[in-house]
Amino acid sequence: MSNQKHGLIGIFQSLDTTLSSLRRLRDSGLRVEKVYSPARTEEITTLMESKPSPVRYFTLAGGITGILFGYGLASFAALKWGFIVWGKPPVVFVPYVIVSFEFCILFAVFATLLGIAIHTRLPRFRLPVEYDPRFSRDHYGVVVHCEEEEKGRIREMLLQAGAAEVKEIRPE
Amino acid sequence: MELPFKAITYAQADDAVLRTLGTPRTLFWLFVLLAAGGTGFGAFCWGYQIATGMGVAGINHPVVWGTYLINFVFWVGIAHSGTLISAILYLLKARWRNPLARAAEAMTVFAVAIAGLFPLIHLGRVWIVYWILPYPNQRDLWPNFQSPLVFDVVAISTYFTVSSLFWYTGLLPDLATVRDRATGIRKKIYGIFSLGWTGDHLQWTHHGWGYLLLAALATPLVISVHSVVSWDFALSVVPGWHSTIFAPYFVAGAIHSGLAMVLILLIPLRLIYKLEEILTMRIFERVAQTIVFTGLIMGYSYATEFFIAWYSGNVAEWDIFLWRATGPYAFWFWLMTAFNSVAPLGFFFKTLRTRLIPLLVIAVLIQIGMWYERFVIILSSPAHEFDPYSWGRYFGPTWVEYGILIGSFSMFFLLFLLFAKFLPSVSMSELKEEIPAPGRSRGEGGP
Repeated sequence: MSNQKHGLIGIFQSLDTTLSSLRRLRDSGLRVEKVYSPARTEEITTLMESKPSPVRYFTLAGGITGILFGYGLASFAALKWGFIVWGKPPVVFVPYVIVSFEFCILFAVFATLLGIAIHTRLPRFRLPVEYDPRFSRDHYGVVVHCEEEEKGRIREMLLQAGAAEVKEIRPE
Repeated sequence: MELPFKAITYAQADDAVLRTLGTPRTLFWLFVLLAAGGTGFGAFCWGYQIATGMGVAGINHPVVWGTYLINFVFWVGIAHSGTLISAILYLLKARWRNPLARAAEAMTVFAVAIAGLFPLIHLGRVWIVYWILPYPNQRDLWPNFQSPLVFDVVAISTYFTVSSLFWYTGLLPDLATVRDRATGIRKKIYGIFSLGWTGDHLQWTHHGWGYLLLAALATPLVISVHSVVSWDFALSVVPGWHSTIFAPYFVAGAIHSGLAMVLILLIPLRLIYKLEEILTMRIFERVAQTIVFTGLIMGYSYATEFFIAWYSGNVAEWDIFLWRATGPYAFWFWLMTAFNSVAPLGFFFKTLRTRLIPLLVIAVLIQIGMWYERFVIILSSPAHEFDPYSWGRYFGPTWVEYGILIGSFSMFFLLFLLFAKFLPSVSMSELKEEIPAPGRSRGEGGP
């Protein structure tokens, strides 16, 4: 069964009308589910009260794992090979900093991408029913999930805020 | 602050960039054919070397690192500016970065991939390359992680992986834009590669954070990779190589050549696809000004190397530097000095840095100069080490080495041509962050 809900999507031609609709909906106590935009927009992020992304914890965990892996791999290889030069210990610190650093970056990048994938829910094989190709060009979309009886009021609110069109979202 | 490019609308930005993905002119296919031919010739030369043996290359005792290692360092250098422009300038919020970043990142990915081929070509018996990888084997042989050559394997493969992923992450929103305009099979292909991107606010938030973190991770990586390449030389005891200046000197040189390559790639792109509104002269001017800075660093590094060689009182060190400037490689030495540190000074003149032909000419001179800089460094030191009985000369480049060099350039341009044809060569989503949003004029804030 589809987990998509009924609701409305207001399509806007300008950023200012989009922001205005977000304020109106917020002031009316309604929850905006999603805002589609053609580019990253600081004002939308602020109005949607998006929290700092937890992706950064993935990065930190990946980086620490990389350091341990790089140092561990270099030490393991040196101990297995056991090639003693001038009686010096086979496991050293300074040269392994380079290997550890490279693995730190590599693992941190992998973990960051994993974090992005999890939080953005990508890859996604089907686009949401309400998605409109104009959103990647120069239009904005404001999605509100609501019950049937609320639709009239919300539609009116979106149109008053300057929506060029308002469409119903019906899960397939 | 004034924008470094014209204030166009979102739709105009999309149209200008997407035009590059349209049906190309016949001239484009002629260039593709030429580049493919050159790549094929390079592959033939490598095949001939594998079949015949390393004797077909001009390397021999005492100069056992010839043009293959020169090419390796050269291409790693070219690979540097892409990430510099994209990551460092992103962190510094330099606005002139946006129209250049995508093409510069592509340049990085292709250049580092080509650089990675040269140790394999130099290896001769390429089929045993896996010996350098740490894998369990019955003889318990493991790579020595104290060796700068193993540092190199780790650094270059990390750099290639990270640059490719950084590039792809930035491409995601633009691939979705192409998907939304395409039809038929193209729509399906771009749909798969855009991973279902829709541009909702949560995607932008997490993508933005992730991209910022990737830029922050890529920045020290850029510095580390060419430092590691320089330690292939500096960690030896060979006069002319064993120097602490090598890491910063190589990094500066890499950025210098990479910026010049950005001009070589983007000036034709601007002309062919009529991207004057996005790739404006002001942006090229910024690149030229940065080249002046890196050129001055190069000149300072050359002078410092000479001064320290003399001041150290080390006879072998001072002798190699005198030999570079007056011996059989003197022509190339003075050519590299002139092209790398004198020619870029031309960009002090506004008239030269705001015209396409002088920009292109100086950029090409820098490429030649930087290739010969690696030629002088890599060939002269082993040719003139401590003891006169082991002095010798490099016998190349032979036709095989020239063929592989031509092949590498052809492959680079072929990959870039295909990139410009099939992927958005300017980041539309980042451009939109800088130009006025729909319904607003420049500098206008929200209600």
